Parts: sequence; C-alpha cells; structure tokens
Amino acid sequence: MPDLYELARGPLFRLSFLIMALGLLRLFLLSLFGIVQMVRRARDKNNSYGKILLTTASWMLPVHRLHRHIPLISFSSFLFHAGVIVVPLFLLDHIYLWQASIGIAWPGISRSVADVLTLLTLITGTLLLGFRIFSRSIRQNSGFVDYFLLIVLLLIFATGYIASRPYNPIPYQTVMLIHLLSAEVFLVLTPFTKIAHCILFPLIRLTSELAWKFPPDAGRNVTIQVHGEVKSI
Amino acid sequence: MKGILTDITKCVGCGKCVDGCTAANDLPPGSVKQYQTRDGLSGERFTSVLHVDKNGQNRFVRKQCRHCLEPACASACIVGALHTTETGAVVYEEGKCIGCRYCMMACPFGIPRYEWAEAIPYVRKCSLCYERIKQGGAPACVEACPEKATIFGERDELLAIAKDRIDKHPDQYIGKVFGEKEIGGTSVMYISDIPLDFLAWKPDLGDNPLPQYTWAALNKVPGVALGMAAAMTGIYWIIERRMKLQEEQEESNA
Amino acid sequence: MNKRLIVKSILWAFASVGLVVAWARFSMGLGATTALTDDTPWGLWIAFDVMGGVALAAGGFVIAAAVYIFHLEKYSPILRPAVLTAFLGYTAVVIGLLFDLGLPWRIWHATIFWQHHSVLFEVAWCVMLYLTVLALEFAPVALEHPYLQWPILQRIHKLLKWLTVPLVITGIMLSTLHQSSLGSLFLIMPYRLHALWYTPIIPALFFVSAVGLGLMMVTLEAFASSWLFHHKIKTDLLAGLAKAASIVLYIYLAIRFVDLAVHSKLGYLFEGSWQSALFLFEISISALIPAVLLSFSKIRHRLDALFACSLMVVFGMVLNRLNVGIIAIEKSPGNVYFPTWMEISISLAIVSGAALVYIFCAENFRLFTDEKEEKKSIEKRQFEQPVFDAPSKVWLGDSLVQNISVFSIIVVSVISITAAMLPSKAISGYERDPVPVRKAVGWETIKIDGNRTGEFVLFNHKEHEQRLEKIHGEREGCLACHHASIPQDGPTGCYECHSDMHLSSNIFDHEFHQKALQGNQSCTQCHAEGQSKSRESSIACTECHQSMFQKIDTGKADYYIARSYMNAMHDLCIPCHQEQSQILGDENIPKCAFCHVHPPQTNEDRMQKKNVDAFPFSIQNGEN
Repeated sequence: MPDLYELARGPLFRLSFLIMALGLLRLFLLSLFGIVQMVRRARDKNNSYGKILLTTASWMLPVHRLHRHIPLISFSSFLFHAGVIVVPLFLLDHIYLWQASIGIAWPGISRSVADVLTLLTLITGTLLLGFRIFSRSIRQNSGFVDYFLLIVLLLIFATGYIASRPYNPIPYQTVMLIHLLSAEVFLVLTPFTKIAHCILFPLIRLTSELAWKFPPDAGRNVTIQVHGEVKSI
Repeated sequence: MKGILTDITKCVGCGKCVDGCTAANDLPPGSVKQYQTRDGLSGERFTSVLHVDKNGQNRFVRKQCRHCLEPACASACIVGALHTTETGAVVYEEGKCIGCRYCMMACPFGIPRYEWAEAIPYVRKCSLCYERIKQGGAPACVEACPEKATIFGERDELLAIAKDRIDKHPDQYIGKVFGEKEIGGTSVMYISDIPLDFLAWKPDLGDNPLPQYTWAALNKVPGVALGMAAAMTGIYWIIERRMKLQEEQEESNA
Repeated sequence: MNKRLIVKSILWAFASVGLVVAWARFSMGLGATTALTDDTPWGLWIAFDVMGGVALAAGGFVIAAAVYIFHLEKYSPILRPAVLTAFLGYTAVVIGLLFDLGLPWRIWHATIFWQHHSVLFEVAWCVMLYLTVLALEFAPVALEHPYLQWPILQRIHKLLKWLTVPLVITGIMLSTLHQSSLGSLFLIMPYRLHALWYTPIIPALFFVSAVGLGLMMVTLEAFASSWLFHHKIKTDLLAGLAKAASIVLYIYLAIRFVDLAVHSKLGYLFEGSWQSALFLFEISISALIPAVLLSFSKIRHRLDALFACSLMVVFGMVLNRLNVGIIAIEKSPGNVYFPTWMEISISLAIVSGAALVYIFCAENFRLFTDEKEEKKSIEKRQFEQPVFDAPSKVWLGDSLVQNISVFSIIVVSVISITAAMLPSKAISGYERDPVPVRKAVGWETIKIDGNRTGEFVLFNHKEHEQRLEKIHGEREGCLACHHASIPQDGPTGCYECHSDMHLSSNIFDHEFHQKALQGNQSCTQCHAEGQSKSRESSIACTECHQSMFQKIDTGKADYYIARSYMNAMHDLCIPCHQEQSQILGDENIPKCAFCHVHPPQTNEDRMQKKNVDAFPFSIQNGEN
C-alpha cells in the first residue's frame, strides 16, 4: 500500500501531468495550424474577428444565457467550473507540493475559501449529474464519457475534502490514494476528451465560424475532382 | 622540487592525515559512500589510509596523488588544465577544464576523481597543498601526522633519507624507494616492508614516463598529414592526366 | 509510404526518450543519469557515440577518395548518401560528446587553450575541421534545392564545386589523422588496457579498421535506403565495395596478428580468460569471417550474404571500439560498468535524430543521383496529388496533418512515459541512501537545536524509547516519532505529544519540590500569583539553588552530523594522556602507538594491559 501510494504520487503523477500538459499543447498547436490553413485557403477573408472574440468572452459569463436555458443549470455550471479551476490550482497544499518538488510557488487561497469552493463544486457537480440522469433532453445528448468524467471529478473533490479534514473515518493514505489515482485518470483523459475545451475554448468559436464558411476538406475534394477528371481524360 | 616520503613501517593508521587534508581543503565531513570506488578516494577525499594485512599484522598505506615528474594526466589533458608547477606539485585549474575525464583514464594510479553528484562537476585530486607550500608551509597531511610517518621536504633530500633508512635497517624494508624511478619518478614516495603494487592499476610499472608512449605517435602527425595530402594530390593528378591522354587518343583515333 | 511512416514514428519515439533523459542529464549531472564511476570514467557515450560514431562515418572519406581521387566513377551514385552519412555521423559524435563532457559549454576551450602533447587535442581539432569540410562537401547538394536559388547562394555553390577536389583531399588527410588518433588516445594507458588490445601501433589498427568498416557501413546503408525508398540495389557496385573491404580486412588481420606475434602476446589468445574469448569473438566477426567470405566472387554477388557480412563487420568493429574503450579496460575488482538505460537511450536518440535528418534530406534533396531511377520517380509523381501549394502557402490533402498528429502524439506519450520512468535520483539529484529505522544505539541523550541558534535542549531519547515501546510495542514505538523514513518528513516535534509541558521531568521533579516545600501552600514560592502556572510564570531554578547550579557553559550544539566514535574516543583520551606525559615526563604517552599496538589485541587483553602498564597512575591510587 505505501508502495502504491509512492508510485501514485511520483511516477504516475508525472506521467499523467505531462500527458495532460503536452497533450493540450499539441492539441492547441494542431488546431491553430488547422485554422491558419483554413484562413489561407479561404477566398473570402472577411472574418469578423472582433465579434468572434466577443462571443467567446461572453460564453464565459454565467448571466449571458440565463434566459435561454434552465437558469439553475447555467448558474451551477458556472460555479462548478469556478471550483474545478480555482481549487486544484490555488489550494495551498498543492502549491506546497509544487514548491517542494520544482521550487515554484504562487499565492494561494485560504483553507476556508477552498473548503467552501470544494463544497460548492461537490453540490453543483451532483446537481449537474442529476440533470444528466433525469432530464430527458440532456440524457439524450450524453454518452458514457460524460457520466464517467463527472463522477471521477466528484470523486477527486470528495476525497480531497475528506483528506484535508483532521479527523476522518477512513485511513488517510487510502483516501489520498483514491484522490491521486482518480485525479491522474482525469488528467490523462484531459487531452483526449471534451475536457480539452479548457485550452481550446478560445479557438472553438473561431473554428466553427471559419468552418461554417469553408468546410476543411473543400480543398481536398476539389483535388479529387480534378484528379478524377485527369484520369478520365 | 618538493616531495613527500611516507614510511609504511611507521604508520599506525590513525587517519589524522585524512582529517588534516579534509580540513585544509574544506571538504565535507563524514564519509560519502556513493560513487566511491574501492580505495576511499573520492571527489571529497584526496587522501585515504588503506589497510593491508601482512601475515596477521596490520600495515597502513596512505594513498594520495603521486605527483609524477612527468605526469600522464597533464600530458593527456586537452586544455592543459592539469599541469606541473615549480614545487613539483601537479595542480588543476578549474577554469580550463572541459570535463572530458581523459586524465582519469590516463593516470596509472587511478588518482583523479570526479564530482559525479554535481551538475557542474570538476576533477578533484590532491594538489600537494600548493598554496601552503608556496607560503613556506608543509602539506596539511604531513603536519597532521603524529608519528612522522609521512614527511615533507626537497625530493632529493627525501630520497637520501629514504636510502639512509633502508641502508641502516635492511631487514625492515624492501630495498627500493617506491616512486624513485617508476614511470619517470614521482614526488610522493614510499619506503615499505610490504610490496605496494596495489597502488597502481598493474604491478611493475616500467621506468618510462607514460607521455613518451603518446608522443611517439603524436610526433608523426605532421608527417602523416603532409604525406597523405601529397600522396592523394599525386594520385589525383596522375590519374586525371592519364584519363585526359586516353580521351585525346580516343578523339584522335576517331 | 506507410513503411516510412512507421520507421519515422519509431525514430521519433526514440528521439523523444532522449529529450527527457537529456533534461535529466544536464540538470542533474552525470552521476544521476549514468553508471559512470571514478573507476570507469569513460562509458558508452565515449566508446559508442564518439569512437564508434567516428569509425562508422568513415565511409564518407573512403567513397569520396574512390570517386574523386581514384576516378572510380562507378561509385558516384553512393557518394552523396555517404557524404551525408558522414556529416550526420560527425554531428552525432559532437552531440554525443556534449552529453559526455562534464562541462559541455566549454567544448570550445580546445581552440584557445593549446596543449599539443595531448592526443585528444589533436582529435578535437581534426574532428572540428573535418566537420566543416563535410558540411562544405554536402552544401552543394542542399544548394540545388529549388527554394535556395538566390544569387549569393549560387555563387557559393559554384565556388564550392570548384573547391571539391581540394576539400576532398583535406578531408582524407584529416580523417587519416583523427581515425588513427582515436586509437592513440589509449597509448597512454599501457597499464589499463588489456594486452590483447594494447599495442604501440593501435593508431594504424584504428585507421585500417575504420576504412574497412566505412566500406561495409556504406553497403549496409545502401540496403537500408533501398528498403526505405524502394530503390533497386546495384549488386555489382556493392560487390566492388565488398571486394575492397575484404582486402582491407585482410590487411587489418595481418597487422593485428603480426603485431601480437612480434610482441609475443600470442599466448594470451588461448589462455582461456574471458578477454581471450572476447578477442577471438571480436576478431572473427569483425574481420576474419567477413574477409574470407567476401573474397569469393560468388558470395559477393549474393545480396543476403552481402547483407550478413556488412552487418557482421559493423557489429564487430563497434564491438572493437567498445572493447578498447570500456570492456578491456582494467577496473578494480568487483566493479563492472554496465550503462544505465538512460545512457543507452541517449545513444539511440542521437542515432535516431541523425536518421530522421537523413530521411528528411532524402525526401527533399537530390540525394540519389541515378538518372534512370529519377526518371521513373518523376513519371510516377506526375499523377500524384500535390502536397504543398506554394502561391497560397497551403498544405493540400491530409497527409501532412496526419503525419504531424501521429508524430506529435508519439512524442507526447513517449516523453510522459519516460519522465515517469526516470529514477528519483535523476529528478531530484544526488541523494543519500535511505536509512532504515532502527533502534538508536548509544544515544541516550540527544542535543536538539531545532532553530540552529546554538542553544539546545537535552532530549532523553532512551527514556522516550522505553516508554513508547511499553505503550505501543517495539516497532510502533519508534514510528510514533520517526514515521518509517517517509521522504521529506522529519520526526514528530516534541509539542505534538507534550501539548501541555508543565509536567515534571527528570530534570525538574515537581512532586518532590511540592512535598519538600509543604504541599499546596508553597505554590507561590515558585509560581507568580494569579497567573496560569506555566514555565513563563515560574522563577528560575538558580534563584533558590545558587550553590547547586554553577555557571554552566551550555556550549553550542555540534555540527549536525554526529562525531565519529573514533574522534569522540580520541578526544576523551588524548588530553589526559598529554597531561600525564607532562607529569610523568614520558613523551611516549600521548603518541598513537602507545595505545594502538601491533598486533592488535582483544578487548580483554587491552583492558588488562591498560590496568597493568598504561595506567600506573590509575585514578584508584588517589594520588594524581
């Protein structure tokens, strides 16, 4: 058990973190490359970049689409995202670990704020899971991965919260092990699942806007057409 | 030319020389076992005391740089970071070293050690306390020796002392000053009643200085270079000319 | 095309392993990543990357000599690949050297600090110059590319073409020098290199073997590129190379055995040691078997035999360099060098990187100058889909994006896996061996100076140990404070158990004082009234016990590494011995040999002797 714990906090963490970081970087660069190609290929170069930027920014606000969807979903989704981003990055215990291993530290949030955010994330996450299960329209658009990722994320936050309590019924190392392993699974899946939107969101609007005008395979289709004609001659 | 003479029969193995060396060179206390080979020398120890069992009796042999008169390490060093000095000490200039470790391969006694644990490593070895000697002092190890088993002085004088001791007590010593002639002579010498073969990679080092072996090949370099260039130019010219003649002949034939 | 994609993917994978290991090597040092020790200061990177690499790249100067100097135009189709291989090979050598050097950023030092007695100095200059020559020899090929048709470049192109023959002659000269000098490196180690490999003519052996190896390496390369790029192999051309190689290998064998005979070392061959077995194995696969096989014309014209022979020579000659550089070098008994996987991965990564550049050049430059083949490929390419549309700078089709995404996913995953596999010392650098928890021996009382102010508290370790053992059991008792050596975890602080520290201790017996001073009436004698009874509110012991507590020099806490037993004992004995020597007028008493006697005695003997001889001034007499 201590061996497994050491494995999870050393090699496995390095593996999953690097896959996440490098994988996201790769994804971002590939998308950027694709966008540049798309723009170059286009004849109509009048793209309203300002408007795209505005819509991208407005997507990050919770109030923007409150009137369109179920407000509770919009609002809990916002809180959920805030917790998921802020707590892992700015939890003091995590920052201490970074400082001990690579010597870099940054200001963090206090323990009580982190606790509140964690609880909020857990609550909103459970709500979202509930919607996924019980709302028919959302269920129709959900696949296995959607449930799986959400459950893993809830598991990470729950175990993290338990581990940070001074007195907990389950042995510390067991809780930590589950915390670590589930977090690692989540990190590994990041660049290969929809979680990649954490880095791709600035490009998503742009891509869809450009792709709407010019399907990415247009050039190839033309070539195939021409090729066919050459052959037929 | 200064030197050190160690009398193995007098050494009691107290290790004060190692302590003195450690203090004088600001080396870390305690022993660091990692990366250390058989003999106790390391990037953090420039001298060590080896224990030898002589038919149930203890003998202690202090290992340190021999400060060869014609050092292999200095001849091997690509940038001249290792070089001999007027005191006879073979010293190391950190600023020049590129870290190729050819000196460590070349030394017949396996003396130079490397700071393997460092990201910016240097070669480390005894410098015969060069700075102390320049200021008129004696090496720290010699000063620390309570038994006067290891003594410091002019190399010639030390040789005379050594021979004197051997002459007076021929039954107590092997009749040879270790380091008088081997590989051209060393500044750090021993007299002993046990053979000291284990201090080098192989027993019976010859009397030829090691740099001679290299120089025998190296002094042929200019000759080989010029000869090769001349031969190649000559061959090129001859064949080129022959081919031209052939072509002309073919043309005239046609 | 698919085959090449797989090969490239594998090469990318190897290269990315090297990337991670390179980070570890340069940030944490050689000790953390290699198996090198003071005994074996040269390892795989010198023996394979540098010595082997230079020898493998010998094909460049051999083929250049054949084509330009000896006018053997037959071999010109393999000239460009050979020169490119040589150039990449030497670049790989330099990169390998950068990994091996302790202070790689000083690699240029040889250009300003001249030491012409060093063979390495000569090698460094030759390799430096030859790398330049190779770059200039290959430059015309690169300058043929349609993208590089600027006027200035074209003038340089013309100049280089005009300079070809002088460049080739310089290259041959430099190659001769440093190929042989790599052997001369070992001339200074007659006592380290095994007699079967050490010889005064080792430079000649290195040169001749490099020529033979170069020829066979070019052959092997022809096989590889024909497999990768679907060329037809020209059997007669390779057979010509093989014939030359066979002759060279015979010469090599002759020199080697005549040399052994002259130095009367033939006896070593059959002494049955592992060195002799290794030597026989090396010489048979590197020279003997291939030389004999290739001297038959029938065998020379069979592709499978050619392939096998060239593989044998390449493997055997590299083994020779490994033998000279590592295996046959004298080490101290019990010390065996075997490279770590990180060393091997760096070597592989460098080779893979070179191979990737080779494939890139083969795909983008006119590397293979066979007119027939070129015509064929042009015809083929006519109906192929264009990859890049230059005017709009757009890549067409999916192949490029697909390739990039395949390679990048390989790079990402291999980098992550390698980083996970790195041993802890390659990540956090040098570390001491972990010490298992065991009972404290001989430490009854420990000085604890937690804040390093020089003032310490005495901690009775033995008492804690006994008490905790009673409560928790033997092992768990230790674990109450020591936590089984979990990394980056110190022992439990005192305050974590002693949350209220007013309890009486063995220093201050509260209960005794209470009784002696008439019970509860006496509290105010020591404790200030109306305040909680803490240490701060109490008077100091000295206020009552002025006579009992003399002024004690508490001293500074010692250096945090405990003194050795020897030093501690010496410090206990020596001052007294010195004193006694003055008193008794015997100068021998403080000398080492007074106590350390030959031969050593058992403890009982020593005690007896001390009672009888060494301590005539024993304290029991009460006189001293």
